[in-house]
Amino acid sequence: MVDLSKLYDAVLNGDAKTAVAVTKEAIAENVDPMELVNKYMVPAMDEVGRRFECEEYFVPELLLAARAMKGSLELIRPLLVAKGAEPAGRVVIGTVKGDLHDIGKNLVASMLEGGGFEVIDLGSDVAPEKFVQAAQEKNANIVCLSALLTVTMPAMKTTIDALASAGIRDRVKVLVGGAPVTPQYAKEIGADGYGENATVAVQLARQLSAQ
Amino acid sequence: MNSKERLLEALSHREPDCIPIDFGGTSVTGIHVSCVAALRDYFSLTKQPVKVHEPYQMLGWIDEDLKQAMGIDVEGVFPRKTMFGFPNENWKPWRMDDGLEVLVPEGFRVTRDANGDTLIYPEGDTTAPPSGRMPKGGYFFDAIIRQEPIDEEKLNPADNLEEFEPISTEDLDYLVTTAQAAAATGRGVIASFGGTAFGDIALVPAPFLKHPKGIRDVSEWYISTRTRRDYIHSVFSKQCEIALANLEKIHAAVGSLVDVVFVCGTDFGTQKSSFCSVETFRELYAPYYKAVNDWIHRHTSWKTFKHSCGSVERFIPSLIESGFDILNPVQCSAAGMEAEHLKSTYGQDIVFWGGGVDTQRVLPFGTPAEVRDQVLARCKVFSQGGGFVFNSIHNIQARTPVENIVAMLNAVYEFNGRKP
Repeated sequence: MVDLSKLYDAVLNGDAKTAVAVTKEAIAENVDPMELVNKYMVPAMDEVGRRFECEEYFVPELLLAARAMKGSLELIRPLLVAKGAEPAGRVVIGTVKGDLHDIGKNLVASMLEGGGFEVIDLGSDVAPEKFVQAAQEKNANIVCLSALLTVTMPAMKTTIDALASAGIRDRVKVLVGGAPVTPQYAKEIGADGYGENATVAVQLARQLSAQ
Repeated sequence: MNSKERLLEALSHREPDCIPIDFGGTSVTGIHVSCVAALRDYFSLTKQPVKVHEPYQMLGWIDEDLKQAMGIDVEGVFPRKTMFGFPNENWKPWRMDDGLEVLVPEGFRVTRDANGDTLIYPEGDTTAPPSGRMPKGGYFFDAIIRQEPIDEEKLNPADNLEEFEPISTEDLDYLVTTAQAAAATGRGVIASFGGTAFGDIALVPAPFLKHPKGIRDVSEWYISTRTRRDYIHSVFSKQCEIALANLEKIHAAVGSLVDVVFVCGTDFGTQKSSFCSVETFRELYAPYYKAVNDWIHRHTSWKTFKHSCGSVERFIPSLIESGFDILNPVQCSAAGMEAEHLKSTYGQDIVFWGGGVDTQRVLPFGTPAEVRDQVLARCKVFSQGGGFVFNSIHNIQARTPVENIVAMLNAVYEFNGRKP
């Protein structure tokens, strides 16, 4: 019988090969996919986040854990869909118009996926109307906006304004983040939260989804 | 005291007659071409398109008339070729998306994709895959990641060493000519020879190479610093060997024409944390920095310049131990990087080149009065006992209001008690 604690360890240690192998074994043994996610993967990613917060882990470890988690999730996701399992929330995420930087955004997206969210990643240099369209089509409850450049920060406000113009601002919570972004700036442009790193972004997404 | 003397006094941790000012001396202390153009207008200088001498970040060349108007004390010496691998020569006009007419080198060859993004090509060769992209309406290029699938069995450190080679006669001659011209200005001279950064993430994708091999994806490189450490050591070790041989040749050619060497631009800090632990820094990077800096200190009078954005307070003791004399850009807005703390704790042992004003918030988005207040406060803290060269925290970004740049300069003049 598969030792599921190995899945937890594999995600925590960024061991993609083992994460995938254990997941395959578990699926073959008909383990409930929700159990894999909720009992092993989410707690593992929470621990990754905790270690990042207390600076035992850094960007490379976060990337490795995300890769392990993704490998496993790719096997589990079709089973979750087949079961009609509801995610913790639906997040549309992207780097705003004019900005090509996506490492931070990718990390947040991975951590959210690992936290049980369905993530619709629109990539980088995303126009406001694309955020609006995706949020509508996917019935998202959270929109995450990333920017690295000072010249593209204003596109966060443009995107929030576009959500309002489309009449869906009250249906979605907007989280913003990126090196030059501050809590004050988030407030000024009418965002619902500022994630100073990927871990905080997941915590905020959970809080906002629970509201 | 002339500009060179002023710089050398500050670098020797003695108070010069006034704080030396750098803008344009390196690719991390420059000004976006649009802001250089705006400054030329502000100072009513001859109307002429500004040269983009660093096309990756679209930095504008600061001509002699503007240097004099701004009171700049530092002159830069740059490699012959740009980040995209073509030489900085034979200038031609180019129009930015916002309509600004600039000059770019002949090798700056671009195309537009279906989105209206501008694509730029390594060595100006449009038959090679593009290596940089500027989004439509954008102001900077970003590297296009060209990563071949990685076969663990076949990974060869030599693939990540293609860009490190013995300096050519042509490149060496160029350095000599430009160093002579720089020294003749009477300003202090900072030179960027290249090849000594070790893991600078902006250089990993190699936008200057036509068909880069090895590990070229940014995330994959970061992961490799943890999972393929032997590979990274092999790359750094050979790179170091090549760099030391090049430094010997360069020093024999330029000698004391140069005062400072921009050794390394590898970023270790993020806004709130860092890219690795201090232990990793000491194990993976410090030995190579120490080898380069020790060679420089043993054989030359050059001071060594380290650039790292972000929260790097925790690394400063190791940077000093590795032989760095100067830290840049001194990002005071990052965690643990408060000016007073840095100056009182490390000011005896390392020069702060930067830290003058925040380019993420105050300079682009603040009022001129806020800019003045911050600049005066930073000058007061950092200038005590010397060890300070005024520069903003990294390059002045596009769309920064010229009034704020002028407010910054005026505040330095006010603190210095003299105008250029």
